This record gives sequence, structure tokens and C-alpha cells, in this order.
Amino acid sequence: MLTCDEYHMPTTLAEALALLQAVPHGSRLVAGATDILPWAREGRAGDVNLPAMIDLSRIEELQGYEVAGGRVRLGANVVYQQFLTDKALRRHLPGMPYCSIWFADDQIREQATLAGNLVNASPAADGTPPMLAHNAELEIARLEGSDIKRRTISLADFVKGPGKTDLGPHEIVTAVICDSLDGYGGSFQKVGQRRSLVISSVCAAACIKMDKTGEVVEDIRLALGGVGPVPMRLDDIEKMLRGKQLTAELIARASAKPAERVASRTRRQYRRTVVKGFIEAAIHEALEDCGARVPGSAEREDAHV
Amino acid sequence: MSDFELEMVVNGKSIRRRAKPHLRLLDFIRDELNLTGAKEGCGAGECGTCSVFVDGKLVKSCLMPVAKAQGAKVETIEGLTPHGNELTPVQKAFHKTGASQCGYCIPGMVMAATSALRENPGAGIEEIKERLGGNICRCTGYTKIFEAVEIARDVISGKLSIAALEPDGAGKSYIGNNVRRLDAPSKVSGRLRYAGDMVMPGMLHMQVLRSPHAHALIRSIDTSEAESLPGVACVITADDVPGEDGFGVFVHDQPIMARGRVRYVGEAVAAVTADDVITAARAVSLIKVEYEPVAAVFDAEEAMQNGAPVVHDYAPDNVVKHIPIRKGDIEQGFAEADLVVEQTYDTQAVEHAYLEPEAGIAYVDHDDVVTVVSPSQNITHHRHMLAKIIDKPINKVRFIMSPVGGGFGGKEDMIYQGMLALAAMKTGAPVRLVYTREESIISTAKRHPARITYKMGLRNDGRITAVSFRMICDGGAYGLSTEGVMRKAAILSCGPYNIPNVEIDVYGIYTHNTPSGAFRTFGAMQSQFATESHMDICAEKLGLDPFEIRRINMMQDGAVTHTQQVLGSVSMGRVLDAAEKACRWDSGPVGMRGQERNDLGGEGTRPPCTLGARIRKTGDDDHQEVA
Ligand SMILES: Cc1cc2nc3c(=O)[nH]c(=O)nc-3n(C[C@H](O)[C@H](O)[C@H](O)COP(=O)(O)OP(=O)(O)OC[C@H]3O[C@@H](n4cnc5c(N)ncnc54)[C@H](O)[C@@H]3O)c2cc1C
Repeated sequence: MLTCDEYHMPTTLAEALALLQAVPHGSRLVAGATDILPWAREGRAGDVNLPAMIDLSRIEELQGYEVAGGRVRLGANVVYQQFLTDKALRRHLPGMPYCSIWFADDQIREQATLAGNLVNASPAADGTPPMLAHNAELEIARLEGSDIKRRTISLADFVKGPGKTDLGPHEIVTAVICDSLDGYGGSFQKVGQRRSLVISSVCAAACIKMDKTGEVVEDIRLALGGVGPVPMRLDDIEKMLRGKQLTAELIARASAKPAERVASRTRRQYRRTVVKGFIEAAIHEALEDCGARVPGSAEREDAHV
Repeated sequence: MSDFELEMVVNGKSIRRRAKPHLRLLDFIRDELNLTGAKEGCGAGECGTCSVFVDGKLVKSCLMPVAKAQGAKVETIEGLTPHGNELTPVQKAFHKTGASQCGYCIPGMVMAATSALRENPGAGIEEIKERLGGNICRCTGYTKIFEAVEIARDVISGKLSIAALEPDGAGKSYIGNNVRRLDAPSKVSGRLRYAGDMVMPGMLHMQVLRSPHAHALIRSIDTSEAESLPGVACVITADDVPGEDGFGVFVHDQPIMARGRVRYVGEAVAAVTADDVITAARAVSLIKVEYEPVAAVFDAEEAMQNGAPVVHDYAPDNVVKHIPIRKGDIEQGFAEADLVVEQTYDTQAVEHAYLEPEAGIAYVDHDDVVTVVSPSQNITHHRHMLAKIIDKPINKVRFIMSPVGGGFGGKEDMIYQGMLALAAMKTGAPVRLVYTREESIISTAKRHPARITYKMGLRNDGRITAVSFRMICDGGAYGLSTEGVMRKAAILSCGPYNIPNVEIDVYGIYTHNTPSGAFRTFGAMQSQFATESHMDICAEKLGLDPFEIRRINMMQDGAVTHTQQVLGSVSMGRVLDAAEKACRWDSGPVGMRGQERNDLGGEGTRPPCTLGARIRKTGDDDHQEVA
């Protein structure tokens, strides 16, 4: 059970940052609370009494998003359901809708923030692979005297290990800033023990843009989660495919590679097998998503009858 | 701790309350507002029994600090049908299709269905399934629920007339006709109160200290610090039991709380009763127990060996129950066989996971009657056992059965009612205990894990000549229903087959694992799994069609079972015919069937799961758009 002595609901960032400096050590920030509440239960942290909880959900400057200069600035309070219901976000962030539909359920998605998911830094966090594919950075604020100072750090550098990030004790993530991939096709693959409400054993994200001929890869972004201490971007495989004519054979070769990178401590063989199929499926679905031809689809259909 | 001044509109009514900041919205609406339609099935966002609308969006109220609802409009299941109003089309449709069995998940399901149709009144079945994905049901089954949502959708849109919500015309017989449940309206409206929803004036709350050891001697229990914590009414241990301590369905081997020794991880050692759950939990953490861990045994076969750690002194061989059955001449039977097949089958422990965690209230009434209200599946037996344990005449002990939010056999055992009774007697106040999901999983009975060694003799024509069936079940630390489960397993061991020579040995064994108890099928699942798997393996070895080998051996009208029961009529043949037809079976021995399988895909089969019905691009983009 989670209990606390004080529960604060600041309405401005300055107020939140000041509180964060003032509250006793061991106090926590809260966004959607979907990680922090289940954490304080038997089998995990058990009963926890926090000196203070600072709830960020009423801070106006953390709400909503903006698109400018090919980048999308997602306020820290953007919740997962928005990636499904907001038409513009769906267009700019093709990596997110299927990630979102696989994420928890409709109800939790109304609460759970992307920022909370990234800060929580679970190796199996679903938001990290697509955000790596979108070249995400985190914007982080802290107080210096009475001034708000901001810094940005790439997501790849921010996540340091399971539950470990670069966030300092008096810092708040204010936004996630990432590429707009308008015109790309996106896909998300996930396997867990069931369909809804399940943490990924393995997940993969892909975003693809084909050139005008529809045959050659103009750009591709691939990332994997659940296969090691931190989710990873697959730069080498992207390189194999970028600028190339896509054939079934090339996709198959590219898909076979990342299995070597599976470094999980458990179910390693299973994850290796899954990863291969996932990269292939992610590329296929992303191609379908942008209306491109899927190479070898006819042969594959035949093979699966 | 400074309280929070909360203002919100709940079901259309403005409310203002001071509340503790750590409360979850679920606690607030249940405990402060006494709106108990939302339940706590898991407390971790996994089950959906707590779903409520906050500013029009459905959320899981167990994952929301109440402060987040400050100034919000909250709508609970009670708000769907304000007093005097009739049920909504969604609720009526749930009633119509029988989508409410135990009913515990149903308020949440109704809320999720309501939300799905509010978000997209034209949602197709795939989208409906997705939108209900955060809600779990354990007994109604999802088919009737989905059916109900589709009917409601079509009635709301006018595609179906409201007559579709009316009961089906009653036929001459109840059999084959859709008969409506009498209790469905109370379930679909969230009005039905389960034990954990009940409150009594002056009610105290219990929390339980549980063993971290599988097997240990209890050297001492120091409750003094816990007792002196402000707000604590009493701490009870085995020393507080006035009568003859021990319960169990067949053998009364389990004390109300561990007595001198713990025998499994999660066994109750002491219990605190206090003004509120948090104080009780804090006091539990202040109880000091000195344990001396001793050797434990975790495998039933090992527990049967000489020299294995003994779980109960009365059973030095660790056998709870051995059921031997003999019929015909087993050696002769195997001698007549052309083929003998031997295999070992293992099944695992299974948790019932009823959505209602164990809960109960006990009080001593004006006539000194010790009364326990709980979802007990066996109240009369519990009453008799409790009378002995608390040393009262039977007319001074009463059990009231509250609605059972799923039992599946798991609520047959009196695992916590004794503690409640003792605390009510000691404090003179009503005492309530509500398990957490974790507690329910850690400490309550499971389905028996079984290891079955099956030996079958057959003739080349497929006729079975003999069966030797040896089943060893892990009964865990206490007897509970083990004896009955062993009997049933032995009775049903050889399946619905006529077998002339039979040798059956079924053992229920004590170990230091979580106790095993009653669970749907009561031992039959384990033995049927072995029998039917074995039939398939033998069919393959003999080059027979799996249906054929069963027809050759099945019992017919007038058959006598190996326990001497005469079966007037046997439907096995008809069942096989129906199953064969329904699955579009390709006849022939295993591995020799045609190139194309007719039984995959098509009518009556379920396509694989997909997700994303609402965002899939179909060319008709706006059609898929979420409102
Ligand atoms: C039933 C269930 C199913 C789930 N399914 C999934 C799933 O499918 N995939 C998945 O990836 N996760 C899943 N989760 C985990 C969880 O929902 C996500 O990680 C979620 O995105 C966390 O966001 P939140 O806003 O709820 O974070 P919170 O619980 O509020 O916070 C999480 C952590 O981040 C910190 N934090 C939050 N916001 C900020 C900020 N702006 N600046 C600095 N620190 C901050 C908090 O202090 C805390 O340490 C599930 C959880 C539950 C209970």
C-alpha cells in the first residue's frame, strides 16, 4: 500500500520545482501513478510511506504538444491514449499508434504518460523502442536559484539501465521531443502472456519511408525492447536497408541479425527466435502502413497455407 | 498527515470531504461514499473491477490517487441507474444474455461496455473486445458479455427494437430455453454487496501476519509493541483459541493460526485488529516472531520416502489419503495385451483467481451468537467446526453466506473465518478482513499438482485389456479437501471406458507447499488429462483413428464402472459423434490424414487475436476515427 504524508498538486512548473527542492529526501514525482501505485505492493516494494508526492498532472505547461521544424514536442503530461485518438499525432508519430494499442488497456492509457514510461526505464517499456526510432530527446528542467534551467538529452543516453536514468534528484522531465515522421509507415510488434494488460517479453518498432518508386528504402528506423537491460536502436540493420531495393531475401537477411544482440538473462533462446520474426513482421507491417508493396508477400502467403 | 479538502461531483451530486492524501479514488468512493459497485479485484490495475468514469473517461480507480479527482465529475456504476431509474440498455442486455454469473466483475464490465459505446457507438466486435480488454472475468465467460454489448449497441442505435432486451418466451421446459437469472439486476447495477462491501457501525479491520518460512518452529511471538500501537484493538495468535483447534474438510489438521510450527510460506501466524487497515498493517510489522527453520519437503514423491521430513506427526508417512482400487486380474490383463504403453503425466498447481478475494465480517450479536458473514462454499460444515474451535454450543455459532464472487472450490475451506470469529469475541466489535490479491494467491489452496504414471495394455484391434494408474498428488501442508479430491480422481481415473482389469492407486501427500484443495472438477481434470492423452498416444501406436479407439472402448448403456456403479444410460457415443461432426474431423489414423485440414479456420473456429481495429487503415479513414 502506498501512503504519504503530503500530497502536492502544483499548477506551475516553477512551483513544482521549488517543491521538489523543499520536500524531504525520498519524496516522489507522480504523473499517471500507474507505475508508482502498483510498485508499493507486496512482492515489489511492499508498503511504502513517502514523505511527499508531487503530482504533475495539473501543470499547464506540461500539457499538450506542438509540431515545428520537423520535430514534435510532447508535453510530459501527454498520455498514451492521445497517440490513438489524436489524428494529427497519429500522422506525425506513425511509430506510436500500434505501440499504444498494445499498451496496457484503454483505461490505463488515459492515465499513463509517455514521460513516466520513459523515466520508469523498464527494459520492457513499450514506449522506448518507438521513441528511439523517432530520435527522441528529453527536455529536463531544474531550478537554479529562482531560474528554471533546461537541458536536453537523447533518449538513448537518458536510459542507463533497468530503472536507471540520467535524471537528477531535483529535475523534472518537461517534454519528449522527437522527429515528426509524417509520410512514414509505422508498426509495433509485441509479445507477452496475453493481449491486453501485459508487459512485453519482446517488442519491436519500425518506421519506414519508401522513395517515389515505392521500391527503394528512403529511410528506415528499427528498435527493439525487452531483449537486454536497455531498449536498443538497430543502426547496423537500418544501414543494410537504407537506400536499397527491398527484396524478401534482403529483409530475411536483415531480420536474422539482431538475434545476436539478445542479452536478457531469462528465456534467451525464445527471445532470439521471436526477434527474427518480429523484425520481419515489423518491416512488413510498416510497409503496409505506408501503402508500399511488401516484397515476397505472395510467396509467403503460399508458404503459410 | 494533513488531510485534503476534496470537492467533486459524484453521480451528479456535489460532495465535499476531507480525506487522507494517500487514498485512492477507489478507497474514497467505497469507504467514504459507500458506493461499493466498484470493487477491488487486484489493486494493481489488472482486473477492471474498479472502473469508473472521471470527467467522461473510464479509468481504473485503484490506480488513481483521489487528489487527481479534485474538481472532477465522477460517475460510478451507481450513477448509471440513479434511484428509481430503470436499467440502461447495456445492463438490460447483460441481463438478457446471462452475462452475470458470480457478478463480481460485472459492474466493471458494464462500465467498460458503456464506455466502449460512448466512445464509439458503432464499434464492431473486434473493437468492443479491445475496449473491454482491461477487464477480466473468471466465470461468466466473455462470449455472453460480448453478445450483450452488441445487442445494446444495436438497440441504442435503433437497429434492433427494444424488444430484443425482453426475456425470451419461456418454453415448456427450462432445459433448452434461455432462463433469466433472478439475481442479474442486482449484479449488473452494482447493488449486490459482497462481504468486502459490507460495513457495520464500529467495525474494526484485520490484517494478518504470515509465515516467510516453509517449515519452521515458532520459538516465540512478541506482540507487545503491536498491541501498544494507538488504534490497535487486539492481536490474536493460536494461544487465543479457547476450544479444540483444527479445521479441514476431512481431517481437522489445520489450526486457525500456526500453532508452534509453520508448515508453508504464507500460513497465518498472528492477526491484528485495529481501527483501520493501515494501522493494522503497521501493527503487523511490529510483531516479532522467532522462527527456527527446519528441513522441509517440496516434492510429493520425496515426501513418501523413508526419512523425509514429516509434515504432521499423526501421519509419519506424509500420506493424507491413499485410495486403492482393484478390478479383475491385472497381470492376466497385461499378458493378454499385444501392446503395453507406459507414460508419466504431470500437472501443476493452479490458482482459482476468483475476482473476489477472500473477505468476511464477524460479530457477536445481542444473544452472544458468534456470527461470521463470508463467501463460504460450505457454511454448515464451517459452523460445526467453528463451534468446536471456539468452544461454543452450536446454537451460539452462525454462518451467513454472502454472495460468492467466484469460488471454483477455493472457498470451501475455513481458512480465515476462525480468525475473524476470535477477533470479534476478543474485541466485542464487528471485525472485517479483506484479502489483497497477493495474499489470496500466496496463502489459499490451489489445484492439486499431480504426477500420474499410466500403463495401458491393448490388443491390436484397439481393445484395452488392462490399466494400471498410479497418481501422486501434492496435497501441500494441510489436508483441506485432499481426501475427496483423491476419491474423485480414483473414481474417474480410467475415463468413460470399459476396462476389464484395473489397478488404481491414488495418493494425496503432505508437503511444505501451499495447501491444495478443491478446484473445479475435483481431481478429474488431472486424471482425464492423463487418460485422454494416453488414448491418443495408444491410437497413434496402433494406427487407429483417435475417435475409433474411443468408440471401441467406450462404456455403453448398463455398463458397470470399476467402482461398481451401474450406468443406466451412457451418452459417450453421442458426445463423440457430435464432437467429430462439430470439429469437421478428417477420419483416419494420426499422421495419415489428407493433405488439407478441414478442421482449421472457417465456421465455428476462432481467428487469431488482432489489435488495432479502430486504427487500421481501410482506405475509409474517417470511418475508423475515434470520436
Ligand atoms: C496493469 C498495467 C499494465 C501496464 N501495461 C504496460 C504496457 O503494456 N507497457 C508498458 O510499457 N508499461 C505498462 N505499464 C506500466 C505503466 O503504465 C507505464 O510505465 C506508464 O507509462 C507510467 O506512466 P505514469 O504516468 O503512470 O507514471 P508514474 O507512475 O506516475 O511515474 C513513473 C515514474 O516516473 C517518474 N515520473 C513521472 N513523470 C515524471 C516527470 N515528468 N519527470 C520526472 N519523473 C517523472 C515518477 O516519479 C515515477 O518514478 C502498465 C502498468 C499497469 C499497472
